[in-house]
Amino acid sequence: MSDETRVEREGVATEREGLLATWAELRERESVVVAGTALAVLLFPYLFARAPVVSDALQGYQSLAELILIWGIFVIGYDLLHGYTGLLSFGHAAFWGGGAYAAGVFAANVSGSPLAMLVVGTVFAALLAWVLGFLSLRRGGIYFAILTLAFAQMLYYMALQPLASITGGDNGLGIGRRTIDPLLGFIPLEAGVPVITELVSTWMYMLIGGAMVFTVAVAYRVLNSPYGMVFRAIRENEQRAEFVGLNVWRYKLMAFVISGAIAGLAGALFAIHNARVPVESLFWTTSGEVVIMSVIGGVGSLFGAPLGAAVYLYIANVIPGIREVMLFTQIDKLFPGPQAVVLPEWANPAPYWHLILGVLFVAIVVFFPRGGVWGGIKDLRRTVAERLRGDR
Amino acid sequence: MTLPVVPLQVAGDLVRLVINGITTGSIYILLAVGLSIILGTLKFVNFAHGALYIVGAYLGLIIAQQPRFGGKLPEWLQDLGLIDGATVGLGWGYLAALVVVPVVVFVVGLLMERFVAQPFYDRPDTDQILLTFGLALILQELFRVLFGGQSQSIAQPPWAEGSALGLPLVGDVLRFFGVSGVSTWRLVIILITAVLVGIVYLLIEYTDFGLTVRAGTVDAEMVELLGIRLSRPYLVVFGIGAALAGVAGLVGGPLVNFNPDYGGNILVPAFLTVVVGGVGSIRGAVLGGLLFGLVQAGLIQFGFAAWSEVGIYAMAAIVLLVRPEGLLGDEVVA
Repeated sequence: MSDETRVEREGVATEREGLLATWAELRERESVVVAGTALAVLLFPYLFARAPVVSDALQGYQSLAELILIWGIFVIGYDLLHGYTGLLSFGHAAFWGGGAYAAGVFAANVSGSPLAMLVVGTVFAALLAWVLGFLSLRRGGIYFAILTLAFAQMLYYMALQPLASITGGDNGLGIGRRTIDPLLGFIPLEAGVPVITELVSTWMYMLIGGAMVFTVAVAYRVLNSPYGMVFRAIRENEQRAEFVGLNVWRYKLMAFVISGAIAGLAGALFAIHNARVPVESLFWTTSGEVVIMSVIGGVGSLFGAPLGAAVYLYIANVIPGIREVMLFTQIDKLFPGPQAVVLPEWANPAPYWHLILGVLFVAIVVFFPRGGVWGGIKDLRRTVAERLRGDR
Repeated sequence: MTLPVVPLQVAGDLVRLVINGITTGSIYILLAVGLSIILGTLKFVNFAHGALYIVGAYLGLIIAQQPRFGGKLPEWLQDLGLIDGATVGLGWGYLAALVVVPVVVFVVGLLMERFVAQPFYDRPDTDQILLTFGLALILQELFRVLFGGQSQSIAQPPWAEGSALGLPLVGDVLRFFGVSGVSTWRLVIILITAVLVGIVYLLIEYTDFGLTVRAGTVDAEMVELLGIRLSRPYLVVFGIGAALAGVAGLVGGPLVNFNPDYGGNILVPAFLTVVVGGVGSIRGAVLGGLLFGLVQAGLIQFGFAAWSEVGIYAMAAIVLLVRPEGLLGDEVVA
């Protein structure tokens, strides 16, 4: 290879690197992150539920898209604690269910304004997190996991029987669509959004999507502030953080409260979306679900969180219904014949979806404990970037 | 001289309350002792311990009786030509189950230690929790596929049916305290628990094997430096813990209905029993289990049945606030 060509190649490489660097810098900027999230939130339900080809292949539907965003918010809140501060809570059902019940009881007794319900659910969950965090954070590691699990179970049993007059006990709390007022007093949640109806469908989705963008903005701000840096420091080495002179206990409690508040926001959204609160929302299985979603999505990654929720809910809701494997409609035009292949009875996936999730979960814990789906995407991106840069 | 009647009735109710409490506590104790020794010696967190309860319960059901199941197991066995009707099971009776279940679940425990726990000893606690939680999920779903999701219960063996008042000697003692209506089955549960936990206690406290295990608890590295291999004692400890959980399922089967999900539900109080009693302490697990059982039975007896589940969590919270290391735990584990 002559010197000239080498110089030329290096020149191209630096130019490319410059572009990549600019892109990398842009990607980190808060406004870009929030705008990107907003764009993704706007496009997601269309791509998932209504776009030609894609949605046929995915078999998605609008209310599942809404559910994915709600749980996505919950997982982001959870991951702030588990992924970034390193505290494995097994009791986040308490805040999800607590926020949902608070919002529901508020709607039934005071006001059905959706925004007020969200505020009440979030504030209630934050206060609850303060109390439970104060108790559970007295011990670390596995004891923290067991204590959070125990307190959440205590709340479940309280909602189930002694407080049944408020919570509706075993039947759950019925709120009813009519109890929930229109948004800001004049926009019914069921009404389509003008102009972009095809894209996002109803105002319900706009409310949920708005909450998602808000959550991402808050979480991104917290995590990239010095405050969030301390969270990560605690995760990496709690003792050292203590020795540097940080009040570790206070930071952990604060992480717990923020995490609980976001979980409460998601719970309140869930209450609005379903117009009822099932008592299972306080049960330990709910805590287990959020743990699974967070691990599948990728522990300690803000954008992995909603992905984990999406994968989980997709497997839980779509797989059981698949008896027919849909083929792309376009194929039909090229090759006339049946459009769908019906699975034989023994291959019917319906009874096994939970098992599939369990195996997926264990595989990720064993092989990619901190990676998950988002980790896989990042690896892919790094490979592509390296290819572009030209150094193999 | 006539004996005062009222105090005797109170005494009778109290004895019955204690017996009911100890029975409920027995299930917690059987689970907690296993959890506690595994956590104390191997420093391994087993969220799949509740699944072992379910293994014991279903296995016991199949060995003791010939029940009907809703899951796929009957279909598959029929396809293979192994059974004719819709019932699956050996029907050997409860005593046979009492012998077979601990042995089989012991082996399950050994397999779990070798293939699940051992590769994760060096990983962080949180990974162990996540792994065993996932394993519990898989086991639970396997049971749902095999046996269906509906609630099952094991029938009380015919020799333990009826009231304990009819028993020789024991009945007389109960009648002396003025107890009315305690089922024989509850006494059998207490007896089984006492014998098994007693054996494990003696094994750990008074044998060379137990000495090795206890030494390993204090300082595993030092023990290995002295040339004593710990991997085999650890294996056995895990097996013993698993077997106790299996027996818990077998013994609890006639008392509480179970389905594949029940393993997770019973795990929480079992863990709390360990934390309240103090990790690694068999006596602590027994004390914690008894306290929980008595609190629960007491709340039911005195008309607060709705609060009976909440009660144990509240008690656990109080104990942990006052004594974070547990009642009989001697070290503060970070």
